[in-house]
Amino acid sequence: MHIVVLVKPVPDPASGGERLGPDGRLDRTASPAVVNGNDEYALEAAFKLTEAHGGEVTLVTMAPATGPETMRKALAMGATRGIHVTDESLAGSDHVSTARVLAAALKDVEFDLVLAGVDTSDGLAGVVPASVAARLKLPYLSYAAKIEPDPAAGTVKVRRISPTGFDVLEAPMPALIACTQALGEPRYPSLKGIMAARSKEIVTKALSEIGIDGAPVGGTVATTKVLGSKAPPPRAATLVVRGTPDEAARELVAFLAERRII
Amino acid sequence: MTEPTSATPTTGSYRLSEEQLMLRDAVRVLADELIRPRAAEIDRTAEFPWDVKDILASHDILGLPFPTRYGGLGGQLLTVCLAIEEISRVCATSGLIVAVQELGALPLLLAGTDEQKDRWFPDLAAGRTLIAFALTEAEAGSDASATRTRAVRDGDDWLIDGSKRFISQGSVADLITVFAVTDDDPETPRHKRLTCFIVEKATDGFGVERIEHKMGIRGSPTAELSFRGVRVPDSHRVGGEGDGFPIAMRTLDRSRPGIAAQAVGIAQGALEVAARYAQERKQFGRAIAEFQMIQAMLADMDAGTESARQLLYKACTEIEAGARDAARWSAMCKLVAGDNAMRVTTDAVQVLGGYGYIDEFPVERMMRDAKITQLYEGTQQIQRLVIARALAGRSG
Amino acid sequence: MAGLWVIGEVTADGKLANISTEVATLARTLAAEAGKEVAGVVVAADPTEAATELARYLPRVLAVTEPAAADRPWSMVAAERIAGLLEADTVEFEFVGAGPDGRDVAGVLSALTGWGIIANAVGASWADGGPVVEMSVFGGKLTTTSAFTGSAGIVTVRPNVVTAEPAASAGKIEQVKPTGDLAQPTVKIIERVAEAGAAAPIEEARIIVSGGRGVGPEGFALVKEIADQLGGAVGATRAAVDAGWIPYAQQIGQTGKIVKPQLYLALGISGAIQHKVGMQTAETVVDVNRDPEAPIADFADLVVIGDLFEVGPAILAELRARPRPGSA
Repeated sequence: MHIVVLVKPVPDPASGGERLGPDGRLDRTASPAVVNGNDEYALEAAFKLTEAHGGEVTLVTMAPATGPETMRKALAMGATRGIHVTDESLAGSDHVSTARVLAAALKDVEFDLVLAGVDTSDGLAGVVPASVAARLKLPYLSYAAKIEPDPAAGTVKVRRISPTGFDVLEAPMPALIACTQALGEPRYPSLKGIMAARSKEIVTKALSEIGIDGAPVGGTVATTKVLGSKAPPPRAATLVVRGTPDEAARELVAFLAERRII
Repeated sequence: MTEPTSATPTTGSYRLSEEQLMLRDAVRVLADELIRPRAAEIDRTAEFPWDVKDILASHDILGLPFPTRYGGLGGQLLTVCLAIEEISRVCATSGLIVAVQELGALPLLLAGTDEQKDRWFPDLAAGRTLIAFALTEAEAGSDASATRTRAVRDGDDWLIDGSKRFISQGSVADLITVFAVTDDDPETPRHKRLTCFIVEKATDGFGVERIEHKMGIRGSPTAELSFRGVRVPDSHRVGGEGDGFPIAMRTLDRSRPGIAAQAVGIAQGALEVAARYAQERKQFGRAIAEFQMIQAMLADMDAGTESARQLLYKACTEIEAGARDAARWSAMCKLVAGDNAMRVTTDAVQVLGGYGYIDEFPVERMMRDAKITQLYEGTQQIQRLVIARALAGRSG
Repeated sequence: MAGLWVIGEVTADGKLANISTEVATLARTLAAEAGKEVAGVVVAADPTEAATELARYLPRVLAVTEPAAADRPWSMVAAERIAGLLEADTVEFEFVGAGPDGRDVAGVLSALTGWGIIANAVGASWADGGPVVEMSVFGGKLTTTSAFTGSAGIVTVRPNVVTAEPAASAGKIEQVKPTGDLAQPTVKIIERVAEAGAAAPIEEARIIVSGGRGVGPEGFALVKEIADQLGGAVGATRAAVDAGWIPYAQQIGQTGKIVKPQLYLALGISGAIQHKVGMQTAETVVDVNRDPEAPIADFADLVVIGDLFEVGPAILAELRARPRPGSA
C-alpha cells in the first residue's frame, strides 16, 4: 500500500521566534524549521499502515530551498523518499496556490492514500487538505482518529472526530485523509533510520516539472494580503492571590463576579 | 615542533549536522526515558546492567562504530561520542558500555583482516556479543611496554600466559582483545615487542580471577583476567607480529575521546541537577539560585563543561580527518573533560549542600563516577605527557 | 445582487450549529456597514429546522434540500451545492465557522471556485469594497489584518468573536435547487458513535475550566464539578489527554483546539507554549497553581497560589453559596 504524506516545514512553535517579515509574509529565518506537528501524526499513521500492509511512504512538500533539511527527519522516521516542490515564485503562496501545487505534484505519484495534518501550526487555517482532495476529486476524510484500510476491497474506513464522539466514514481508495493527534504519538526516528536518511532520495521538482506552466501561482497571484499587524493589547497586570484556601476562593469568586462572568 | 592541526583550514559549518542533532536527540530521549530510572540501582547493586545493554543493542547504539556492511551504523567518532555523552549524562556506567564496545573493537577496526571482521563484527555490531580491551597489567599501567603476558608460537597456534588487571567489562565480554609480548629479545625495541590477539571467552585456560570493588562506575565490572596456556589460532592475531604497541596507541587515540565524552556527559548531568535544585531550593526566603555565590559556581560549571565539550567535538573532527597529531587532540580532550567533570561534580555536591552528599540526589554518584575519567585510558599525567611530547615534536 | 453569504452549518440531527448564529450576526453587521445584502444558505437532507433558526438572524435564507447529506459528511455535500448556487446569485464573500465542518467546507469551496480564504477571523470591518479581517496568529502573539486582493473570498470565523443576536424580525426562507450533480466522490457515513463525556464543541463554550497533568485523574472530577457549577465546559492540556483522563476533543493547545472563552479557569496548568497558543486569547484567564513561577502567571489576569485540592473545594463551596440569579 503506497502512501503519500504531505509535510510542511513550519517555524518551531516551541522556539517562540515566529514573526512576520516586512512584506507581511512569514519570516522563515526567524526560527528553526521543524516538521509541522499534525503532519507528524500523519507520518506515524502512514508508517503503521505500511508496517501492517506493506508498501512505501513518499513525502511531498512544497517548501523553500531549505525544505530537504526538514524532510530528513521524516525520512529518518521511516519514509522511503521525498518529493520537494520548490520555486522562488512560490514565496507568499496562499491556500489556493498551495493546494493547486500540491494537487499537481500528486498527479504523477502512485498512491492508495494521501495523508496530511488537519492544519499547520503557522497558518492554522486547516483548509488545504480539503482543497487538494477536491481538486483531485479524491474522497476526503477529515479529522481522522483511526484509519482502517481494506486493501482487498479497495476501501478505507476512518473515524472522524465529531462534536459528540465520532462518525465512521467509508470511501473507496485512493483517498485523502486529514490526520489528528488521536492517531497516536509519532515515533522517534531510530538510529538506523537517522543514519539511513542521508542516502534516501529527495527529488526536487520545479513548477514546470509538475505541469504548472502558464497560469501563475505563488505570491504574485495571492488572493489575500496582509494589511498590517500589531501586538495584541497587553493584558492588565496579573493579580496574585495568596492566603488560606477559603480567602483565596472568596477573592477568586469576587473577581469573577466583578467581571460579570458569574 | 609539530604544527597544530587546528591551524589548518577546515570547511563546512562549525556546527553539528542535522543528522548528528537528530541522533543526539534520539539518544537523549532514550537515555532519559529508559536508562535514567535505572542509574541509582545500577550503582547500588554494582551489577552489570544487562537490561541496559539490551536497550543499547536493540536501538543500534552499540552498532554505531561498526561499518554498515556488518550491520553497524558506520558512525563517525563524533557521532559515537555524542551517544556516549548523552547516555553518561544520566548513567556513566551505561555510557561506558558503548565506549568499551568501541575500545575493544578498535584494534580490529584499525588492523583486522576482512575474515576477522566477518567473523566477529556482525555479532558485536548487533550487541549480541561484547568485547573488552586487555592491555593493562598489575605492573604495567601507564607503562604498557612493561607488559609481562606472553604469547609463544606452538605450530599454527599461539599459547598465551599471564594476567591482565583493571579490565573494564572483562568478566562480561565474549571476546577479549589482549596484548602480549611475542618478542622478549632485549635487542628488540620496547615498542616492537607486543602483539594483539582476540581471545574468545570459552577458550580453555581463560579465567576471571576477581572483580574489583570500586568507588564509581560501579555497575561496570572491572576484572582481573588470567590466561593459562590459552591456545588461539594464528587467525586470531590482529595485525602483524610486533605491531601490538602501535595498534594499542592508535586505539587509545580514538578511544580517549569516548572517555572525554563520558566525562562531558557526567558533568552535564551534574550541572543540570545543580541548576534545577538551585532554582527550587529556598533559603533565607529566596531561591538559592538568586545568590551570587551560587550563580558564580553554576556559571563556571556551565562554561567549563561547554569548553570541554567543544574541545571534544573538535578533537573528534580532527582525528576523523586523519590529523597527524591525533594523539595530542585525544589526550587534550580527555585531560580537559576529565578534570572538568571532577570539578563540576564536586561543585554540584557543594550546591546541593547536605543533600548533595546523600543518595537522595544523583550528584554524589556522579562525583564518584567522574573520578575514573581522570584515571583510565591513561591517567591525566599520561595525557599531559602525550601533549608535552607532541609539543616537543616527538611521536607519542 | 452582490452580497455576503453565511453558510449555515448543520449538525447530525439537523440543527443549526451555534457557531453559525455568531457568524450570521457578524456578517449582518458587516453588510449593514457595507450597504450590501446578506443571506444565509442551509444545505441539509431536511433544511427546515436549521434554516428557520438561521432566518432569526438574517433577512433571507436559501434552503437546499439535499438527500445525500443524510449519510455523507455534511461539509462535502454542502460545499458542492453552495458552489452550484453561486452562479444564480452573485455572491462576493462567504462566511463560515472556523471549526472542523467550516474548514472543510471552505477548503472544498475554495478548490471549486478558486476563491481565497482568510482563516480564523477574530474580528472584521469593511473597507475598500471588502471585509478587513482581524486574525490572531502565532498563538496570539500577533494580531494581523488581512483583506482579499480580488472581489470574492471565504472567511472562516472563530467562535466567541461576537455574541449571537437575532435580528429584529425573522427573515424569509427560499427553497432553491442548485444546478448540476454532485461530482465529488462519495464518502459514506456508516456509523455515528456518541461517546460518553463528549459535550458541545469546546470552542463554543463561554466558560472553560481546564486541568493539566498535575491534576491527576481524581482532580479531574473536581475540575468537572467546578465546570458544572459555572455552567462551563471541561478542557485539558495534552498531558492530561495523553494520560487518558479526558477525550482528545477537549484538548486545548497546539495540536488540539483553539478557544476564546469569556473565562478560562486553569487548574494546575503551568502554561507551556503548546498550551498557551490554544487559550491565550481568552478574555479572562484565571489560574490556580502551586508554582508562582509558572509561565501562565505571565498572561493570567488572576493567579491563586495554592493547592488545587485545597482551593478547588473552597471555590466550589463559595460558588454554591452564591445566590443563583432569580432565586434570591
